[in-house]
Amino acid sequence: MKKLQTTCTALAVILPLQAFAQDVELTLWHMEQPPHRVERLQQLIDAFNESHDGVTVSQEPQNWGEIYAKAPAALAAGVGPDIMFVTPDFVPILKQVTDIPSVEGLVSELDSKHDFIDSTVEAYSYEDGIWAVPLYNMAMNLWYRKSDLSEAGIEVPQTWDDLKAAAETLSADGVYGLGLPANKQLYTDQTVYSFMVNGGATEIFNEDGTLRFDNPETVDSYTTYADLQKLSPPDSTSWTWGEAEACFISESCGMILQFSVITSYDTQGAGDAADLGVAPIPAKSADGDHNTIAYANAGLILSTEEAEREAAGAFLSFLLEPENYGSFLNMEPGLFMPLTATGAEAESFWSDPLTAKYREQVEGIIANSHNGQLFGFTSGRTFPSIAAISARNLIAETLQDIVVRGNSPADAVAAGQAQMSDAAAN
Amino acid sequence: MRRSWQMNIALTLSLVFLGLLILLPFWWVVSSSFKESQEIISRTPTMVPHSFTLQHFQKLLGSSDYPVYMLNSVIVSTISAIITLMMAVPAAYAFFRMRFPGREVMYRTILLAYAFPSIVVLIPLFGMFVRLGLVDTLTGLVIINVTFALPFSIWMLRSFFAGLPSEIEEAAVMDGASTLVILRRVMIPLIMPGIASVGIFAFILSWTEYVFTSVLIVSDAKRTVPVGFSGIIGQYQIDWGMLLAGASFAVLPVIILFSLVGRWFVGGLTEGAVK
Repeated sequence: MKKLQTTCTALAVILPLQAFAQDVELTLWHMEQPPHRVERLQQLIDAFNESHDGVTVSQEPQNWGEIYAKAPAALAAGVGPDIMFVTPDFVPILKQVTDIPSVEGLVSELDSKHDFIDSTVEAYSYEDGIWAVPLYNMAMNLWYRKSDLSEAGIEVPQTWDDLKAAAETLSADGVYGLGLPANKQLYTDQTVYSFMVNGGATEIFNEDGTLRFDNPETVDSYTTYADLQKLSPPDSTSWTWGEAEACFISESCGMILQFSVITSYDTQGAGDAADLGVAPIPAKSADGDHNTIAYANAGLILSTEEAEREAAGAFLSFLLEPENYGSFLNMEPGLFMPLTATGAEAESFWSDPLTAKYREQVEGIIANSHNGQLFGFTSGRTFPSIAAISARNLIAETLQDIVVRGNSPADAVAAGQAQMSDAAAN
Repeated sequence: MRRSWQMNIALTLSLVFLGLLILLPFWWVVSSSFKESQEIISRTPTMVPHSFTLQHFQKLLGSSDYPVYMLNSVIVSTISAIITLMMAVPAAYAFFRMRFPGREVMYRTILLAYAFPSIVVLIPLFGMFVRLGLVDTLTGLVIINVTFALPFSIWMLRSFFAGLPSEIEEAAVMDGASTLVILRRVMIPLIMPGIASVGIFAFILSWTEYVFTSVLIVSDAKRTVPVGFSGIIGQYQIDWGMLLAGASFAVLPVIILFSLVGRWFVGGLTEGAVK
């Protein structure tokens, strides 16, 4: 027994500097393409490669715009990556074109060591397996300027009614009170769903997998959103995240719903940390929950070779080590949040200058991310057919049906469900 | 013939309007690339910059692989344009001059290449390129660009051939020149404006090609400007300064090409007019 303990201790010491029996070369695909993120990842990759003899990881940044076509094509042709950073709705698409072994053992081991937020693991747990290792979380929040609200004599909006009242009050002197997108694009999917999760329309599917998108709660959420959208700039029907961010930073928009890229506010805007408000998405009513949409990004191991899978596991474990994890998350301060208990306390996370400067906001974002939901991955259940619905931005298209084509919310939601049924069936 | 003063004013105003229409977007992009970030996204747009900085260009060239993307684009577009011309000129001449069964049908059929959305052929093409070892190569991009530029280039050049007086060719035949000699020594010099136009068309088509490059190129080192640049911009944030700096650089090769070939192009047109 003592011998076993000694061996285990020795292994634990050696593990970070693990030597692999054979040379292993791993290719990592990710969609974090802005140069500063690529550079930060390269620093971590270099550190990993130096500390792990026989393993060489290299990165190939890809673009979100093409990855849904490119990755399946590459995997089908046998030229795909060994590791890939993914979101939950992407995994079912990849599982259709290639065999992906479960990483349940690795996730269990990492969970016992770092303690994942349960919902982040649940998003990848279905069909008797866990398909990817959760790595970083993103959650949507309400951005506002404290000085604007203070000057207007209004409190931070807690409910939908508060939000409308605040947006109307802030709409003056060429400022749009609230910037909400209505483009047929993922950003609109996300903002609309952020309303749906607070309006009792979290579940798009019934338990048996049939659609329940067309229900009074969804109609109510769309009605409210479309009503608020009238207070947004006219070009918001073509917005993606960047345009909303610019509208807020340039003080043309009083409030926006946004994933929190603090760098832009700090470098392109006023950079006044004390004036930036980051609040939970308003609830439907005063006694309602403040939920939000959240994406638990994860590392998907695609290689099926044992040595490569072991090395890929070592790499993902390396990223989750607290001394590395903060550096990893802060490749984009404010956007990527820790999804482990050890990560949330990591010195490497909080010591980043920008994260330290906006500590109050980052703490708020982390708190909000715990109430995160993602369409198709709710209540511990996963519906892989959401991938087809998500890929066609049908949640956003339903909104466009109201905002652009002038249909009633009830008709638009009914049409939206019909389109979702078609997409899921095909 | 003298124009009335009203006509002169109308003509001048029209030219000014057209000039502004063409030049204003360029001015907006280029001048904004030198503005501070705050001024770029300011609520009140400024036509003339109130601030000046080179930081966006420094960031673009220093922290991204943009120079590599530019080099790749120049290589791919130049080679694609040259190969397109080398294939389109004899093909167009053959369609113009030679008589063979199904000539008209074939001539009209080649434009079917544009009938299908490129996304339809993308996935099967990817599989084929994998087997040929052409995925993630600039050669693969050249093949794609030539394939898509060639049909329209043949059409354009045949029209230029058709616009030449037949007496010129007949005189060359009388002098005993072979078909190839007539093409090389007589016809090509006369249709230089057409060749310049087709060259520019093929170059720009390759320079702006996005869909195939985004899927067929895997590594960062092989990306061309449109694909590499779209990645630099990012998904959840946009660095507007870097975006404008990149856009300013991206139009440079096209402007340079026009300034070089354009003069020749105009000269050729004038020459043709007095024949």
